[in-house]
Amino acid sequence: MSANQAAPGGTASDGTPAAGDGGSGNGVPGETASMDASAEAPAEAVSGAAERLSAAYASGTPCEPVRDLLGTDVAAAYAVQDRLTTARLADGARITGRKIGITNPAVQAQFGIDTPDFGTLFADMAVPDGAEIPFGSVCQPRAEAEVALVLDADLTHERHTVADLIRATAFILPAIEIVGSRVRDWDITLTDTVADNASAGSYVLGNRPVPLGDVDLRLAGMVMERRGEQVSSGAGAACLGHPLHAALWLADTLVRLGHPLRAGDTVLTGALGPVVPVKPGDVLEARVDGLGDVRVAFAPEPSEGDK
Amino acid sequence: MTATAKPLPQEQRQKQGQEHGQEQEQGHGDLDVRIAALAATLDEAALTGRTVPKLTDSTELDVPGAYRVQRALIDRRVARGERLSGFKMGFTSRAKMAQMGVEDVIRGLLTDAMAVEDGGVLDVSGLAHPRIEPEIAFLIGEPLTGRVSPTGAARAVAGVAVAYEVLDSRYDGFSFTLPDVIADNASAAAFGFGDWLPFDGLDVSTRGMVLEINGRTAAVGSSAAILGDPVRSLIAAARLAEEAGLPLQPGQVVLAGAATAAVPLPSGAHARVTAAGLGRVEVTTR
Repeated sequence: MSANQAAPGGTASDGTPAAGDGGSGNGVPGETASMDASAEAPAEAVSGAAERLSAAYASGTPCEPVRDLLGTDVAAAYAVQDRLTTARLADGARITGRKIGITNPAVQAQFGIDTPDFGTLFADMAVPDGAEIPFGSVCQPRAEAEVALVLDADLTHERHTVADLIRATAFILPAIEIVGSRVRDWDITLTDTVADNASAGSYVLGNRPVPLGDVDLRLAGMVMERRGEQVSSGAGAACLGHPLHAALWLADTLVRLGHPLRAGDTVLTGALGPVVPVKPGDVLEARVDGLGDVRVAFAPEPSEGDK
Repeated sequence: MTATAKPLPQEQRQKQGQEHGQEQEQGHGDLDVRIAALAATLDEAALTGRTVPKLTDSTELDVPGAYRVQRALIDRRVARGERLSGFKMGFTSRAKMAQMGVEDVIRGLLTDAMAVEDGGVLDVSGLAHPRIEPEIAFLIGEPLTGRVSPTGAARAVAGVAVAYEVLDSRYDGFSFTLPDVIADNASAAAFGFGDWLPFDGLDVSTRGMVLEINGRTAAVGSSAAILGDPVRSLIAAARLAEEAGLPLQPGQVVLAGAATAAVPLPSGAHARVTAAGLGRVEVTTR
């Protein structure tokens, strides 16, 4: 995490857009999309969407979708995400890495896209293994088991290869991502979730680092259990064929956007199996073959007397 | 009740029959005739590749009765020269159990005619709606029946392999109730397995599994989808074997259950299942 600590103010190098970058400096991360000025939502739409999501985040009460403002303008949606990231950094948040979302081809088809999306991880989202997530701290929480990469080199090439990525990976960890949507009832299209930081909530990392070379990530089996019941299962191949493929997309995309992945960054590469809705009081454990296990607890709903 | 028990030692069969052989022991004439007729309906459907309305549309059938139909169905196959070669376990995922509203797994019976050698060819033209799913298989090394511990089950196992099962329902629209699917031999149609690996101390609880059709990924899962650990399915198979009076015998195979949902299997396709650390198994359809 040292590289990010070295840039506490949030510079372009650690994922923070420069001030005023929101309208013009954002490339579109998808291979298929392109910068098209005529497709951009107006600046008021970007600030309106940012205000709506920001209010929902602050109050914990979900808001209406933002697609009425952004339409299908993915670049504008990332501009909203950047706006919210800038605001969090101004409040003293520290960026710890990135999450990749929509890495399952079936889910991509539902969203009508053929690439993933990404969001930004902050230090205040990280929860220790087994710790309890306070009630209401993640809006409409759902959990998914993932592989996390922790980097020890910058990834600044215009195009990276798997070799670049393997060299830059210090170690990998099992992870549970708790996604959450600030949009009411998870009623999201691509622009809704991208604007909402790719529906990032909290994340839990396992405590035992494993060298990338020790695990066949494509065939690494995963199971997530709640009270002994298998609520999700899958394998590395479910994440764009291989978790490194998702990370490769992210590395190239972030270079295009001007804030590449840096040494110390954590990359949550995407779900290995179906996402699981969680309820207050739930405890979930995920095991990834070869990587070990990681768990997360959700605080029970406060009783009337506690409120 | 003789033909299906052919592979069993005579003595053991009698003992099992006395203690647990409800499937063999009920000698009510009318019921036997009705069971035989239902089995014939399903057998004819399988032989002709034509589906039939589900049995419960026109007859009352409970789970024990359904297992008797299944047994009568396999008797017909054995009478044609097939040999009982093991068990297949069904409804081994929580999702499927919830979908069917059941609390326990079910079993079907495998015969040697359903087995396809690794890399072999399977003719699916006679199947109504074939589907394939990635599985874990156990090879029985010592007789296995009754209530056993994980260690006891492991001791009876001679090997473990990556496997697949081809499902085909003999019912219209692949639609059925629990007794229907049991009577229809748990939709068993064909199966294949890769190299047997020694099971001593091997943990197969969370092996990543990939099913490819024509080289493209068709399903991704984990062996943990099988009751959290395929060994639990083997233990359930031992329990059901005792209930059926059919102890699992050396050389028989237990298909423990599927790691993913079943995927349609067209003709002229190449399917391959890979499991982490267990290698692969392949089949080509025509």
